[in-house]
Amino acid sequence: MKSQVVTLRNKLGLHARPASHFVKIAGRYRDTKVSIVRDGEVINGKSILGVMMLAAGQGASLEIRCDGPDEETCLAELVELVNNKFYEE
Amino acid sequence: MNQETEDSTRQTGRVIDFLEVKQLFEDNEERLRLTLLAGGDGLARQIEVKHIHRPGLALAGYIDLFTFERVQVLGNTEINFLRGLSDEQRAASIGRVMEFAIPCLVITNGNDPPAELVEQANARGIPVFGSLHSTTDFTHLLGDYLDDQFAPTTTVHGSLVDVYGTGMLFTGRSGIGKSEIALDLVERGHRLVTDDIIRIDKKAEGVLIGTSPELTRHIMEVRGVGLIDVRRMFGVRGIRVQKRIEVEVHLEEWDDSFEWERIGLDYESTSYLGVDVPLLRLPIFPGKNISMIAEVIALQIHLRVYGLNPAEEMQRRMSEEMNRRKVRNYLIRDYE
Repeated sequence: MKSQVVTLRNKLGLHARPASHFVKIAGRYRDTKVSIVRDGEVINGKSILGVMMLAAGQGASLEIRCDGPDEETCLAELVELVNNKFYEE
Repeated sequence: MNQETEDSTRQTGRVIDFLEVKQLFEDNEERLRLTLLAGGDGLARQIEVKHIHRPGLALAGYIDLFTFERVQVLGNTEINFLRGLSDEQRAASIGRVMEFAIPCLVITNGNDPPAELVEQANARGIPVFGSLHSTTDFTHLLGDYLDDQFAPTTTVHGSLVDVYGTGMLFTGRSGIGKSEIALDLVERGHRLVTDDIIRIDKKAEGVLIGTSPELTRHIMEVRGVGLIDVRRMFGVRGIRVQKRIEVEVHLEEWDDSFEWERIGLDYESTSYLGVDVPLLRLPIFPGKNISMIAEVIALQIHLRVYGLNPAEEMQRRMSEEMNRRKVRNYLIRDYE
């Protein structure tokens, strides 16, 4: 299992569109389990409703966990997505 | 995001170039209550525009911007104006208008044509019709007909089904199962407009109407069975003749790289005859109930018409929640 803590820097945080971006990328790694941890709450990183439920705004810190055969590339891609402000700004 | 649906065979829009006056007369003799009064030699004249004109100003002498290429309608005003003129003035006034290559003239309200008009119409071979309708009624009815005739048209390969009142166009490569889905929807109580070949007319601005060519209407090919007659098989409630096209569902082969729409905040769109239609892509694989999803899409489109979009609602709720948390965090750190 690989994990990394990221901070949301984009203005809207993990809003609807960024969330859909996130689950689409996570969904590409079929055999890797993706979770997001925030304040002790763990949600499935491939579930759009789960990710939206976090309502993580700007400045929020999240831990992304990837577990499976592609955990390294999957984690790298998701961290890059968050650090690049979901390629939306 | 405009994307061509690559494997639906599609022709570019076509607009008819002209309509013969004879055709207009034959199509509308009863509906427009028409009689031919003069100029029968000119029935082969061509109407090239769908607009209608009342040549009052041209009759009065102002011909600079005279839109002579339109069907000319003489109502009570024009006829009374002509009646009030001296014989010479009347002949001159009518001559001024008839000099132009006008396709045809219609006199409404059952008024009698001035003798000078009949004379000149016969001499020049410009058809003059009489109609028993009032000018207002006549222009409405004729406008409707001309709109129809000159409507841009295109043909698309696919199936068109009325699902809960939403016109749903299914496209996708041959043999992917469009007909089977249409059939399944008919079985569930929805109504087939056409299968295989769909004629699309652009009616009003932004409105696409799909119909089937008369020859193949409500006949469907089911692979492995052959042709079936949907009307006979499922009865009249399983069919309809035309339907506005409100959404396109593009059926695709599923593979691992397929990216699903996950929130539906904005749909892709495609365009026919310059009118945008929302486009949803659905992959087909065993165990996936496309008919059921088609019903859900229809209802979703309905809700959108009424301004209800769950993705937007979700966004609103998330914004509220994020704000609430921001305020809470601020107050927690407030040790004044």
